Amino acid sequence: MTAITLDGAPSLQPRTAPFGRLLASEIRLLLRRPRTIVALAVLALVPVLIGVGIWAAGGDSGGGPPLFDMLSGNGLLLPLAALMVALPLLLPLTVSMAAADAIAGEANHGSLRGLLLAPVGRIRLVAMKAIGVAAVIAVGLSVLLVFGVLSGWIFLGGNGLITLSGTTLSFVDGMGRVLLAMVLIFTQLAAVGAVALAISASTDHPLVVMAGTLGMLIVFTVLSNISALDWLHPMLLTTGWMSMAADLLRDPLTLDGTGGPLLRAGCYVIIGLGLATVRMLNREG
Amino acid sequence: MTVTAIVREPAGAATPAAPGLAARTEGLRKVFRGTVAVDDVNLAVPDGAVLGLLGPNGSGKTTTIRMLLGLTAPTAGHVELFGHRMPEAASRVLPEVGALVEGPGFHPYLSGRGNLFRLAAAEPLLNSRDADRAVSEALDRVGLSDAANRAYKGYSLGMKQRLGLAAALLVPRRLVVLDEPTNGLDPAGTREIRQVIGGLRAAGTTVIVSSHLLAEIEATCTHVAVMNKGVVVAQGPLRELLSDGSSTVDVSTSDTAAAAAVLRDNGFAAQPIPEGLRVELGDRDSAELIRQLVLGGVPVHEATRRRGGLEELFATLTEEERG
Repeated sequence: MTAITLDGAPSLQPRTAPFGRLLASEIRLLLRRPRTIVALAVLALVPVLIGVGIWAAGGDSGGGPPLFDMLSGNGLLLPLAALMVALPLLLPLTVSMAAADAIAGEANHGSLRGLLLAPVGRIRLVAMKAIGVAAVIAVGLSVLLVFGVLSGWIFLGGNGLITLSGTTLSFVDGMGRVLLAMVLIFTQLAAVGAVALAISASTDHPLVVMAGTLGMLIVFTVLSNISALDWLHPMLLTTGWMSMAADLLRDPLTLDGTGGPLLRAGCYVIIGLGLATVRMLNREG
Repeated sequence: MTVTAIVREPAGAATPAAPGLAARTEGLRKVFRGTVAVDDVNLAVPDGAVLGLLGPNGSGKTTTIRMLLGLTAPTAGHVELFGHRMPEAASRVLPEVGALVEGPGFHPYLSGRGNLFRLAAAEPLLNSRDADRAVSEALDRVGLSDAANRAYKGYSLGMKQRLGLAAALLVPRRLVVLDEPTNGLDPAGTREIRQVIGGLRAAGTTVIVSSHLLAEIEATCTHVAVMNKGVVVAQGPLRELLSDGSSTVDVSTSDTAAAAAVLRDNGFAAQPIPEGLRVELGDRDSAELIRQLVLGGVPVHEATRRRGGLEELFATLTEEERG
């Protein structure tokens, strides 16, 4: 009573909604968004189309990207091949779309205000959005994995995984390699997502986020082809992306090529999320 | 030792406790890229009041409200809600605050109900098991139950506005802030908003409602602040602002002579106008004037109160704006 009359207001305690509930709501929102569903469907189509194509050509892959000539009768390779096809553009597009909608899109719709006024603290908001983007990456990779393994088994057949070294790994070992590739690619995409979130926290226009993120990757790819700039290459996120799958297909397994990409991804995630948080704390709601 | 130091007045007796303020701003100022949007705004909104923030478009109402809610950082000055500094105390204060700012903002492909569930998940004061009931009640309160399961993108402007109001009312609030709540609403919708505000007021909720329409404010508010070009040009209880300046009543009657006699007997000053008489109320009540006229047997066809104060002020402001 005295506290109320003295302050003119009861002393209010900080309160906040349970983080799990927020997160569940965020992930439900992401996965119900029509464009996410379309992107996931396109990802599912990649291994199916490759599988059907090679099966229809009677097992002749007829050249093409690396690994493709090994696909016939090597079904477990299909998820990896699909991953390599989706990695340069399709997966980053899916990730940057999710990150674009996460903050810039919500700001554009005006729904970000509702969250800030609830209130969801700004740092919690970034955490919730980052986990949401990570969930989209995980779901996208899982779709590639499941459809890749299934269509490999249906259209290409094979028992176990034939490696670049010519040996054949058992199904379990082969599956292990595929999952390892998924984890490695997850970290790379998480780095893309962190950069996209940083842009997302700085603008109200989702298109800027997608253009910025994909533009960055394209520039990185161009720069990585200029040998005079090889001092710059260790800083480019895309360095090592294409050789990663090949490294996983050697027997015995060598992980020498994975340290660099992992370290790079970690740096990009830390810088990206840091910038996203700073931008979020300072942006107009 | 010093015994006297221990003896003191009971708390609150020495200084009479100031009436609780739900919202207060001091020297609030906002500059956007060299343009002063809001300057030296000092608002005091008593607990339980309904404050009408009145002003033409672009007068700084929305910017002021955004600073109140911690959405925009002031260039100078500060904001307190329930005695807590904003935006530092956002997590203490905002759970008690419902707001509709700058129009409704929702996900287009989610239904009205889906959008409210999204916000319900973020409401600190709402238990998960109560979310269903709270969402349905809020939809019901704004008359959206029938359209609740349709996608938001198919809503009319009025329906969107109602959903925004439903979001502000999702849980019981101590303060509700409504920025131009009747935008896009038809007359029936405007009336419903007034009823909602009336209901909030009856429940003791403090309300801050901005509008560029005087009639809206007059019908629902206890307090008014008038803004123009970023500064508050008048503020106070509605009654005081309205009675500032001379209030007159135009009495339309077929028997001007009898009316003049009755008014003279009762000490009202009056002057003739074409339809009858213009009566100076002074500090008296229009009800008393009409009662005296009717008791005196004067046929009163119509009595119209002409206000000074707020109405004149607002007319001047808005005309300036148009010119």
